[in-house]
Formats: sequence, structure tokens, C-alpha cells
Amino acid sequence: MRKDNLIRVENVSKSFRKVQALSDFSLAVSSGTIFSLLGPNGAGKTTLMKILLGLVRSDSGSVTIFDLPVSSPLSRKGVRYLPENVTFPSWATPAILFRQLERIRHESSVEEFRLRCSELECVDLMKRPLGKMSRGQRQRVALSLVTSGRPELVLLDEPSTGLDPGGRILVRNLIGKLASEGATVLINSHLLGEVERVCDTATFISRGRLIAEGKLDSLSRQTGMAYIETDNADKMKLSLEERGYSCRKESKGILAELDDPAAFRDMAHSVLDTGIRFSGINQMRETLEDVFLRIMDSERGNDIVS
Amino acid sequence: MFLNSIEQLLRRKIVLTAVIATVAFLGLYWWGISAASSAELHMGHGQADMAVDMLGSADAALAAIITAGPLAATLVTALIIVIGSTMLPEEIGQGRMPFWLSLPQTRLKVYLSIGLAPLAVSYALSVILFGGILLMTMIYFPFTPRNIPLVFVSMFSWLTVVWAAVMLLSLVVKKIASMLIVFFLSSVATLFGGVYEMMRMFPGEAPKAIETITHTVIYAFPADRGYRGVIYGLIPADAVITENLAFFGVTASVPSLHLIYAYLWSLVLLSIGYWKFRSMDF
Repeated sequence: MRKDNLIRVENVSKSFRKVQALSDFSLAVSSGTIFSLLGPNGAGKTTLMKILLGLVRSDSGSVTIFDLPVSSPLSRKGVRYLPENVTFPSWATPAILFRQLERIRHESSVEEFRLRCSELECVDLMKRPLGKMSRGQRQRVALSLVTSGRPELVLLDEPSTGLDPGGRILVRNLIGKLASEGATVLINSHLLGEVERVCDTATFISRGRLIAEGKLDSLSRQTGMAYIETDNADKMKLSLEERGYSCRKESKGILAELDDPAAFRDMAHSVLDTGIRFSGINQMRETLEDVFLRIMDSERGNDIVS
Repeated sequence: MFLNSIEQLLRRKIVLTAVIATVAFLGLYWWGISAASSAELHMGHGQADMAVDMLGSADAALAAIITAGPLAATLVTALIIVIGSTMLPEEIGQGRMPFWLSLPQTRLKVYLSIGLAPLAVSYALSVILFGGILLMTMIYFPFTPRNIPLVFVSMFSWLTVVWAAVMLLSLVVKKIASMLIVFFLSSVATLFGGVYEMMRMFPGEAPKAIETITHTVIYAFPADRGYRGVIYGLIPADAVITENLAFFGVTASVPSLHLIYAYLWSLVLLSIGYWKFRSMDF
């Protein structure tokens, strides 16, 4: 690994004619993290990703990867990128594409590529032209091509596009594996459920500005809901309703509503007071979707979320 | 990257079509020239003597080359225009350009590697076409070509001008527009290239306006200079009827300064194209 703070973006602005894509944007990404860029359409996420790769030039500010300016091709050594809508030639097989790619990057072997293909369950497609594959198969092949070997930084733009649930699980596992091998992964995706499962850090962007960033745990708040795991759900529901809580029966327990998220301790006492056996009680946290909506709502009110 | 682009290009139907057209063209040429050769042999004794007096073997070869040359040139020009104008826009349009540029290589390398592939394929096809014409003609009408090295240098100059122009235009206008513009420029340059050769043959006889237009055209788009060099280099050294064929560029060799100018002109266009490519966001 070359650097702890491997991506550094400082005061970057970029406009496309009259559209301000990024405005005085700063960001630092440490190595070994699985990082996501989140924001509504047109927020500037893809522009940021492209600036990191030198595909789009910023109007001002500085961007470095491995302490090298992104204008230098050396900054892209060990960096892998899968664009959202790339169409490889329909005649090409994965084996041909890999050979073509390695003519340029010289970073991985055929064995490593085969291994990645087997992880993404597309090793049997090695000799099939891409034109004869489904969209999901092509996406898995593209991911295998991009991530084969030992990349240091992987940038994925909507990596789950076109994948069925099975394929998404494979991609999740792949991302986890890449991180365990020491790679830093930067994901741009609208599938918040997927992001929530794999990422540990997120940056929220809106109208070209950074509006929130941090570990997912620290960004999500406790909600006004508590989950009580019990085999006597009906009895527990009745007892809690008698104590003034609004409850809903779930498959393995009760979902109880709190007047105030801070009142969880009181509710826990109430649950104990019922005398009914329960195996667990947890205050629910916001899902990433809840966090996203809250942050975007705050942004409309111009608050900076920390 | 260059090999990747060649591999990509050789899979395209237009290149396959051009290869088939080349084979067909050479087949027809072989059939035509062998028929012409037999026709000469089957002449009566007196007729043959008269024909030889009028038209030697070298002159027959000259006639064959200047007839086939423009057709072959059109085929090669059309190919380089079509593949040259589509190569970069297709890589951009299919979303592959960000992918190539995200690899550890410079933009100049990507630009040249993708761009040079159409030039290399067209040059190879051109060598096969004109080489085939030369060989078949020499078999049936033995002669010594005037200047073979000039053929290679001129051919490269001619194709480089067309290629540099179409590469630049393909980044500026839509690919169909770039094709049409360069095809139009090539046609106009060929026409005025012929006029220029006649002006060289009969100096001072052309109206001033024609002279000005002709000079403007051949300097504004110097592709024709290279093509004339190819024809001049191929034709027999001992042909006697060249003076009547000034328009076809067989009277006098292309001044080397014209070829140097064409190369420099291409370099300027190529540099402008690269500057445009370098400043593009993908």
C-alpha cells in the first residue's frame, strides 16, 4: 500500500458551461476503506469520480492519488475503474479483452483473472463473445476484468447495474474480498441497500457540494422504534399497549414506537416490568435510505450535517 | 493499445469489405491486363508492327497504371475516410474511452494508438493494391518503374494528409459530416492537382484566377501531391507518351518540398486534433 490518505481532493470546482458540477469540494479517503459517494442525480458524484481519474479536468483546486497529481498517468497505476455504461466490442471474448487490457496495464496474470471470474461465477464464459451474453453476464465479466490481480484502488460506477439478486451478492462478496486484500474501494451507486451492506464510509453530495461525510454508523441515528424479540409476541404487544406504547407484531417479535428516541431506557424498563420472557431488545437505527432522505431534506434547508 | 486498435479494426465489416473489394479489383485488373496483353499478341503481323511503333510495352503499362490508379486511390481514400472518421467517435460513443484513459497511459498515447490504426490498415491495403497493380503490369508488359522509394514516401504523405484531416474533423463535427467534408476536399484537390500539373507543363498560359485557385487548393489540402508521387513513381521510365498525360501527373515528379509540406501540414492538423482531444472531458 502506497499511502494512508490515498485520495486527496482540495477545493475542487468544476462547471460545464452554466452548470456548476462541483463547488469548492474537498475530500480525503484513507486506504483500506470501502467508500461510497451518495447523492441525487446530477449531484456531481460521477464528475468527482472522473476527476479522480483525470478523465475530467477540474477548473480549480488540486486532486492527488498516492500523492501524485491525477494529470500523471502514474497516479493510475494500481487503480481500476469500471464506468457505468461501457460497451466492449460484441465480438470480443473475456479472454481477448483481458489480453488487450494487460497489454496496457501489466498488472495481473491469466490465473488471477480466472480466479476472479470463478469468484463472480463467469469462468465458463471465457471463450464466449460478449455479444452473446446477457447484460448481467457482461457486467460480471467487466468486474472480473477490472478487479483481477491486486488493485490498490477500485472505482466502481453503479457496479450492480443489470445484475440479478444472486449477482449482487457476488458483487458484495467481491467488494468485501477486495477490501480484505487491502484495496480501497470507491462506489458510486443509487442502490442504497447494496451500499449499506458493503460500505463503511459515505460522502453525501448535493449540487456539487459536500453536505455530509463519515462512517455509516455515525451518520445513522437512533430512531423512535424499538424491536423486542420474543416468543410471546401477542402477550407482549397487549402488555405494552396497556402501558401506552403503540406496537406492531412482527414475525419474531414486536415493533414498538417511542414518543422520543431518548425514551428507549424507559421502554426497556416497561418491557422488564411485563415479566414476559424476551430474548432481546434493540433500538432501531436509521437505514441508509433514511439517512439519505434526512440529509437531503436538511440540505434543502441549507443545514450542514456533521 | 495500438495492437488492440488494429485488432478492433480488422473485425469491422468495412475493413472486410475493403479487403474483398481489393481482391476483386486486383482480380479484374489481372483479367483486364492479361486480355490486353493477349490482344496485342493476336494482332496481325503488320498491325503489331504498327502498334509497336505507336505504343511500346512501357506505354501500354503506363496506360494501364494511370487507368487503374484513380480507382485504387478512390478505394483507399474511401476506406481511410470511413474508418478514420469513426475510430475515435466510436470509442467515445461506446463509453470505452474513459476506460482506456483510466489506465496508466498518457492521452497522447491513447490518441495516437487509436488514431494510427486506420492509417496503418489503409497504408497496408494501399501497398497491396498499388503493389498488385505494379506486379501484374510488369508481368504482362515488362518495364522498369521510375522511382519505387518515391511511391512509398508519396503514398504515406497522401494517406497521412487525408487521415490527419479526418481525425481532426471527427472530433469537431459529426462523423458523417467529417466523412463528407474530407471526401469533398480530396475530390477537389485531385481535380486541381491535375490542373496544377497542366500549369507546370504549360507555364504562364493559365488565367491568373485559375492559377491562384489551384495554388490555394493544393496548399490548403495537399493530399493530391502524394497521390501524384505514387503514380509518377510507378510508371515506366521509358514511356514516350507522358507529355500528353500531364493531367494524370506523369509528366514531372512531385517536388520533394511539396511532400515535406504535406507531412508538416499533417503534423499541424494532428497537433490541433490532439489539443482538442486533450482538452475534452470524458
